[in-house]
Amino acid sequence: MTAKAVYKPRRFKFRLRRLSFSRFMLYLLLTALVVIAGLPLFAMVCRSLMPLDELYIYPPRLIVHRPTLRNFSDLLTSLSSSTVPFTRYIFNSLFTTVVTVLASVMVCCMGAYGLVKHKPAGSGVIFAVVVAALSFSTHVTQIPNYLVVNGLGLVNSYWALIIPKIAVAYNFFLVKQFCEQLPDSILEAARIDGAKEFRVFWTIAMPLLKPAWTTLAVFSFVNNWNDYFSPLIFISSNALKTLPLALQTLSGGAGVVARAGTVGAATFLTTLPSILVFAIMRGKVMETMSFSGIKS
Amino acid sequence: MSVQQGTLARRARKRMGIDKRRSLEAYIFLIPWLIGICVFFAYPIFVSVRLSFSKITSFKGLITEWVGLSNYEYIFFWDINFVPTFLQVVYDTLLNTPLCMVFSLVIAILINRKMVGRGFFRTAFFIPVLLGSGYIMKQLLGMGVDGTTITTGIMVPKLISDLIGPNITTVVQGFLDRITVVLWKSGVQIVLFLAGLQGISGSLYEAAKVDGATEWEMFWKITLPMITPIILMNMVYTIVAFFTDGTNPMVDYIKKVNFTNQQYEYGAAMSWIYFIFALVLCLACILLMRRHVYDSGSKN
Repeated sequence: MTAKAVYKPRRFKFRLRRLSFSRFMLYLLLTALVVIAGLPLFAMVCRSLMPLDELYIYPPRLIVHRPTLRNFSDLLTSLSSSTVPFTRYIFNSLFTTVVTVLASVMVCCMGAYGLVKHKPAGSGVIFAVVVAALSFSTHVTQIPNYLVVNGLGLVNSYWALIIPKIAVAYNFFLVKQFCEQLPDSILEAARIDGAKEFRVFWTIAMPLLKPAWTTLAVFSFVNNWNDYFSPLIFISSNALKTLPLALQTLSGGAGVVARAGTVGAATFLTTLPSILVFAIMRGKVMETMSFSGIKS
Repeated sequence: MSVQQGTLARRARKRMGIDKRRSLEAYIFLIPWLIGICVFFAYPIFVSVRLSFSKITSFKGLITEWVGLSNYEYIFFWDINFVPTFLQVVYDTLLNTPLCMVFSLVIAILINRKMVGRGFFRTAFFIPVLLGSGYIMKQLLGMGVDGTTITTGIMVPKLISDLIGPNITTVVQGFLDRITVVLWKSGVQIVLFLAGLQGISGSLYEAAKVDGATEWEMFWKITLPMITPIILMNMVYTIVAFFTDGTNPMVDYIKKVNFTNQQYEYGAAMSWIYFIFALVLCLACILLMRRHVYDSGSKN
């Protein structure tokens, strides 16, 4: 897209001779900071590999000395031995997250496109609502939210985890920022050629907005995947629990000490998909984040 | 669509005029989102406000009775937990926000230079964001950022701690711990600052260089004024993020009141105080900075 075309001509000059002292210090500093930033990830991996005695050693260790995979097998057996197999939790998480992300991308893109490119009467009010909603904590409205979901008869079903999270202000805001940079002339040309409004949206606007909604998809995936609060409230049946919630039940209650390693393994497994999704979409996301840069 | 319907619709459209027609189309696009936001945002907010001014008389069907400000009164004058927790969060936020700003700006400037491995560094600083603020982060923090485990990586070396004495060591260690937590939470801010930095036209720097400005001067006279809008936006974002963070003691307390004690009306009142404070803080930021924010005017 245009963003790339702008980036390309940047001349990339790297001269080894210029590796001066100050530059060396810069790398050193950045590496140190990266190490700190990477610590949680690293600690998590290590903890998932630690045998029990190492987990409770004092002073606590960051680096695993005798790595073992027992935690993972323990995790599978301890979770599977209860009535619901571990894979069921994975399926629950995956299913609800993927459906939420797809629906949210669709709904938010449509809404933002309509709002920006058609400028309906009252668009100012809608935008004000979006901005207000951005700064709200979901915890404020959790109880009434439960009442609504309960009133709709969705409690204890997958839909309770999906439907409330489709129309999200943050997603809407992100796409809206991008929509504003869509050139009207392309849309107008399509209309003159006789395309129906939805077709203009689907075949012209959506491909052009691809960086925006891929980013949105990644964020939305990470957020929904890590969320354990809504399943905690809406789901009581064991078979419908998502992975983070199952994790939490694992780390609470009896036998916590014995299961510390298992929790580590489970934490690792839960984080893995987010990291994978990000790794695949990395270039796109970073580009979008800087491109949207709330440029307006 | 049958032929007749088609012609009817066309006739109707002709009558409506182009503005109205486009509005209508827009609302067709917006409807799913609007329904969602009304049902799961606007209505719950309304209920929550009402709840905070009432007393639940029956949990079945949630029948309430209007009691005015008594919930709020109770929070401030009777609850022994609220005020200290609240102050703690406010203190943390006021301390962490500027720290987070300075920190992410410095990092953004550093990785905005032309250098090998720029892409790698950018990604690396963004990674903690992926862990989210939910359960996973809680686990990691529980592992002892505030205690020992994780920050042993940057523990003050014993030689130095012997030299400067235990008091200063505690302070330094506290600072290092705080930095670690802040660094984990400033991924988004770094990316936003980067975007802002890239938006500054290179010709400004060139002109300054021709006039003999040093890098230090250029930072204060060009970079900083040009990114003030981003600073403001980042500040608001950071405040909101710290306040709504799942690992926040205040959010924890509200959750406890709501779900463990099941005092819904009381929890609602508490969340509102909390939320309104965050809002006021953000507004204060905007007002304070308004005079200093550089307005690019008609950029395009």
